[in-house]
Amino acid sequence: MYPRRARLLLSAALLALVVSACAAPDAPGGSTSGSRSWTQILQQAEGQTVDLWMYGGDPQGNAYVDDALAPAAAELGVTLRRVPVADTTDAITRILAERQAGEEDGTVDLVWVNGDNFATGKQADAWRCGWSSELPNMTFVAENDALVTRDFGTEVDGCEAPWHKAQFTLVYDSARVAEPPTTLSGVLQWAQDHPGRFTYPAPPDFTGSVFLRQALYSISGGVDAVPARFDQDAFDDLAPTLYETLADAAPSLWRQGRTYPRDSVALDRLYADGQVDMTMTYGPATLTKLVEDGTFPESTRVLPLDEGTIGNASFLAMPATAGDVEGAMAVANLALSPEQQAIKADPGTWGQFTVLDTDLLNPSDRERFEDLPTSHVVPPYDVLARNALPELGSAWVAELDDGWRRAVLGAGS
Amino acid sequence: MRLRPANHRAPSRLRRATVTAVLVLWLVIPLVPLVMWTGAARWSGTARAPQDLGLDAWHEALDAGALTALGRSMLLGAVVALIATPLGALAGRALGWRLLRRPIPPSLVLLGPVALAPFAVAMGLDVVILRLGIPGEVAVLLVLSVFALPYTTFTLRATYQSLDPALEEQARVLGATPAGARRRVTLPAATNGLVTAAGLAFLVGWSDYAVTLLIGGGQIITAPMLIGSAAAGSGNDALTATLAVLASVPPLAALAVYATVVARTTAKGNR
Repeated sequence: MYPRRARLLLSAALLALVVSACAAPDAPGGSTSGSRSWTQILQQAEGQTVDLWMYGGDPQGNAYVDDALAPAAAELGVTLRRVPVADTTDAITRILAERQAGEEDGTVDLVWVNGDNFATGKQADAWRCGWSSELPNMTFVAENDALVTRDFGTEVDGCEAPWHKAQFTLVYDSARVAEPPTTLSGVLQWAQDHPGRFTYPAPPDFTGSVFLRQALYSISGGVDAVPARFDQDAFDDLAPTLYETLADAAPSLWRQGRTYPRDSVALDRLYADGQVDMTMTYGPATLTKLVEDGTFPESTRVLPLDEGTIGNASFLAMPATAGDVEGAMAVANLALSPEQQAIKADPGTWGQFTVLDTDLLNPSDRERFEDLPTSHVVPPYDVLARNALPELGSAWVAELDDGWRRAVLGAGS
Repeated sequence: MRLRPANHRAPSRLRRATVTAVLVLWLVIPLVPLVMWTGAARWSGTARAPQDLGLDAWHEALDAGALTALGRSMLLGAVVALIATPLGALAGRALGWRLLRRPIPPSLVLLGPVALAPFAVAMGLDVVILRLGIPGEVAVLLVLSVFALPYTTFTLRATYQSLDPALEEQARVLGATPAGARRRVTLPAATNGLVTAAGLAFLVGWSDYAVTLLIGGGQIITAPMLIGSAAAGSGNDALTATLAVLASVPPLAALAVYATVVARTTAKGNR
């Protein structure tokens, strides 16, 4: 597809933009709520139209925003407009251009974002900061929850409001894998014992990239062995063993490791077609629907790892150039409300794990979460997130991905 | 036109039918799974045919605002064609009739937008456009018209090359004003070229993703945006196929109109 073809070019140009954006005039950054009360902010939000730019490849997510969040926003007098993009970097590109042009009434008010895109924007001073910590519903988020205070190692600093949690999850077809492995090294061993039945998306795909970090943790001897902040010495120390292990496994992968699926969509398709027996995802919430509609086989199951898997949260960030600040704050706060979080957590709606600490809720709100239907494919979040591992800093991500391309890609037979 | 002897026509008609059949198959076969997907409620990868039939994808496409998006795309394509065709006619006339002393530099400038990647242009331009304060919708039309200009210009240059400038002179000799000669003699003779050029310009506006999104600031949600975002996710094959089929209806309709117009004008010319 045409936007994909442009992606390589985009990353290069994006870099150039980031560099030049740093030279742009100062953003109207910092908190804008100032001394205003929440009631005053809600009053000013009335009549505003909030443009939420989000990845549009998840129909359940689109339906949740259109059918649940937008009507609730309308009750506050705020029009919520969803702008579907094929990739979140499209939104970042637009924001950086607005930022560079000194725009103050920009067309992006909120972005569904995390990780590298957030870090890129933060480096370029492209986010409005200090606002999300003032949202009334933040009282239901645990203060010391590392998943929501740092985003892939980047301090959130009130530049984005948490939206939901995700957990890296391996998935297998129980009809084909009789004795599923229980550790990541077990998975790699299984791949060597069953030639051609396993592969992973080529980094820098989001999912392929987290598989790499998960493997790094496993091969280096656990989370404590890898410093969260990127460190060249640690990289030089740990990466060679990781790449060696993956290169050794390559000849037993799908197509003898000569090629890799370009993204998680491609890997999902291989899995759906029965060409491989495992797939992996950052959004296990979508599995229930994929099994229900026949995309994935009935026998699809989640593969828990003894050492735990990497978890993170995604957020709603507000650009420094946002034109409808109060409306955006009202929507972000609404999205954090126990009611909306519970609606979103329902597997029939979207099935995304809440960022709220249910212990902080009043009994009736807590009940909303306790009453949620369970899925026969995906275990509840507390089971999935057992031993959840933290994300590495985003500088690690790029270095690991680059190194993989040099050391592992092409190592197949 | 004089009729050719019947015995010469029979084999060539057979050959032509075969070629047409092969071409049609070549174009149609890849579309079969696409069309099948639009009616599939459940189709797991291993099955040859959908396990369950249903129109869920159509409902989903309508819920996603497919009709409004198609309407916007059509409007965008039409306005781009309206801007780029007359400009292309002016440029095509100047180039085709060699009215310029140095035709190479303007040709290169006009071809430029085809050589450049729209994404790169969109990314370079959006800052400038924002600084100038041009509204997103207007900017999208202007930029896409520039992208369409090479197609209209070079189609119409070929058209004008095949027309004799003397025709216009003869009309002038017979008493027509310069504008009248152009309107009543040259333009009708160039109809096919104009329609082709307009069709190409329409497609530029119709199929664009990058310019509409980045320069338009997400204010105009068009069909390519819906298709692009649906295609980016897992398990959306039915929805993506339905959107793609819906989106191919207007260009096919335009093609049908074009074929009819060309057939009619060709018939007229042969009479």
